[in-house]
Amino acid sequence: MADTPISSASHRRTNSALWYGLLIMLAGIATQFLYFLRLPPPIPHVLPWINLLLPAIAMIYVVTGLARAFNQSAVYVGKIWGSILTVIALLVVAGNVFLFRQTRAVPNSAGAPQVGQHLPEFTLLDSSGNQTSLSHLFAVSANGSPPKAVLLIFYRGYW
Amino acid sequence: MRGIQEQFPEFQARGVRPVAISVDPPEVSANLRRKAGLTFTFLSDPSLDVIRRYGLLHAAGGPDGHDISRPAEFLVDRSGTVRWENFTEDIRVRPRAQEMLAAAREIQ
Repeated sequence: MADTPISSASHRRTNSALWYGLLIMLAGIATQFLYFLRLPPPIPHVLPWINLLLPAIAMIYVVTGLARAFNQSAVYVGKIWGSILTVIALLVVAGNVFLFRQTRAVPNSAGAPQVGQHLPEFTLLDSSGNQTSLSHLFAVSANGSPPKAVLLIFYRGYW
Repeated sequence: MRGIQEQFPEFQARGVRPVAISVDPPEVSANLRRKAGLTFTFLSDPSLDVIRRYGLLHAAGGPDGHDISRPAEFLVDRSGTVRWENFTEDIRVRPRAQEMLAAAREIQ
């Protein structure tokens, strides 16, 4: 390297750190979609951390690449696209941190009925407007025979 | 919800009745059921009466600061006893139908 005179951009080296950063960042974005695959536990519980970690690692590569492009501009290319990539990587990291905080801002369930406890009776309207109680859910079923268990799925709503 | 629907025949075969509950009023749930082709029961708790009593209130968790339910699943037997439950730590992470079916297998 040192004995080769560098005269033009065509002789400069590929800034591989920037490329690795880009690839890792894209992989990080791709992992946001893995929730839809309903993978077996514990993978879904680890996914939010992977969503955070990959863009953070990408950021390290991108910043390393950008520093090379500016500090060793005679050796490495990538001043312009490295700068653009750094801005994008910053946005991706910020977006992931925001998403992580938002999706985990779930209140604890300390007051909720625990396993082995009796679930208090309730009466609510179903989607046809009929009064429906917990005991009623056990009495009636779609296929004729009464169910042995009811699975209550509380969801966030506003769909 | 689509996962539950996909496994609905399996739930029925195992004697488990899935029931979804949220703050959405009946007409919103009816619309969702129709659009998404969901055939299991949906209940509405717009006043958050049951959600509050069950300790599931997520204050200002909905759009425009509306109060909603946190995600939670309870498997209840005929005596009204909770046999299995799940409270996710991240709204993107939900239990699989297989987990709930496995829990139901314990119930006679």
